[in-house]
Amino acid sequence: MTNATCARAASVSPLVPVDIGHDVYAAVTDPETAFWALVDKTRIAESIAEGSPLLENFREKSDSFAKELQALRFELTPSGVYLNPTERCNLNCTYCYLPGKQRSEGQHMSESTLVAALTRLRDYFRSVMPEGRLPRAIFHGAEPLMNKGAVFAAIEEFRDDFAFGIQTNGTLLDDAAVDFLTARNVSIGLSLDGPVAGITDATRLTWGGKSVHEKVLKAMEKLRGYGSWSVITTCTTENLKHLTQMVELFHAHEVPTCMLNTLRCTLPGARGVKPADADMGKALFAALDRTHALYQKTGRKLVVANFANILIAILAPTARRLMCDISPCGGGRAFFALAADGSLYPCSEFIGLPRFNGGNLFEGGGIEAALKSDAFGAVTSRNVDRFAPCSDCAIRHFCGSPCPAEAHEMNGGMDRIGAFCDFYKEQVNYALRLIADGKSDNYLWDGWDEGTDTTFLMR
Amino acid sequence: MTQNVQAPVPTKQAAAPTIAVRKSCNPDGIGLSHYVLMDRKAAK
Repeated sequence: MTNATCARAASVSPLVPVDIGHDVYAAVTDPETAFWALVDKTRIAESIAEGSPLLENFREKSDSFAKELQALRFELTPSGVYLNPTERCNLNCTYCYLPGKQRSEGQHMSESTLVAALTRLRDYFRSVMPEGRLPRAIFHGAEPLMNKGAVFAAIEEFRDDFAFGIQTNGTLLDDAAVDFLTARNVSIGLSLDGPVAGITDATRLTWGGKSVHEKVLKAMEKLRGYGSWSVITTCTTENLKHLTQMVELFHAHEVPTCMLNTLRCTLPGARGVKPADADMGKALFAALDRTHALYQKTGRKLVVANFANILIAILAPTARRLMCDISPCGGGRAFFALAADGSLYPCSEFIGLPRFNGGNLFEGGGIEAALKSDAFGAVTSRNVDRFAPCSDCAIRHFCGSPCPAEAHEMNGGMDRIGAFCDFYKEQVNYALRLIADGKSDNYLWDGWDEGTDTTFLMR
Repeated sequence: MTQNVQAPVPTKQAAAPTIAVRKSCNPDGIGLSHYVLMDRKAAK
């Protein structure tokens, strides 16, 4: 299918054709409402012409789709917080978005301060969330288990007030810590960058240069059988060709969910290991294909959550879990981050960037003031409808042009794209091809659409 | 003797059926790097 074919078809319809690289199907989208359909690529013009069933049905629903997307993009109130209980980390990863001085010499939040913070956060969330729904509180890093005593005391005290999670490098996750966290249904995320130590060590070492690979594997063994854990692999030039082995390792360890994240290029150190967009796509899609083959062979899924979120963004925009692939992103509106010094940021990704400090939890107007601050507004007003090339992109609301911190620091402004524009386009095409082939449910967790209603169906 | 052979009339192949699905619910997303399937039964 040529660009000219797409252009001719588009000239007679509001729906925009997209070549997704499928043998039979092309996509057509209404970018503003994130509506999409897959049509015979040899019949695009007649499929979306005036009077066609697709166009008629779309027009009946387009107002409700627009309202739905408006609510998702602009009318949410916060329901989660990322808690940084310490500035310190025992690792010095190449691509970390937090400044090295903070991680090596920074401060812990005291137990009493953390408890005071959670008290304020609990009261705030009670004021904005419906009764019966718990806010999410994710301990994040730096390495939260560097301040384990305070973190565990806080989880114990507020276990009925928050759904807790912890994102950890896994090196301090001993038997007692696993028992404590799993007994309280805390969601646990680990990080591992390679299938063997030599690959992991390329980007994740202690400050003294020691490998942590085996420690993370031991932590994974401890968590085998637990329902709520995941492992993140940050994709870099150093591990990209090993992603297929990564998912084989994860599947063998019965990891229920993993993430194969593109690294964030917010700080300059990360940009030295940034993969090219095409390489990122090729490696990720090979790894996803491998998870599918493993599922067919064993009947057990390994959900690659960052990709699952793209599929869900297409199939059910409001059911997405991660809020990076929507514009504005979730930072500063669906969630925010609390730094160890009490400062509030739209997202942990901004903690190394003082201009995005929205104020202090314990001073002045606290959370409400931060949400209204210019620092938060710079993020929450970033809108892909308003800057090129996103404003003309047919899949802009399946992508969201992540990430604002990266766009600002690497590319010079909030009205710039992030680091992986071409990769994100190819990722959406790959997802649409799976939908065309009837395979998408195989990449999602069972029951992913529980609680949803089908509002449009043609097939 | 030559035989008149009629060229087959090209038939238009049936179009592949259109596929379009959209589901809706109350938004519940919160996360960045930590994937929170926290509504999953977590206990060991």
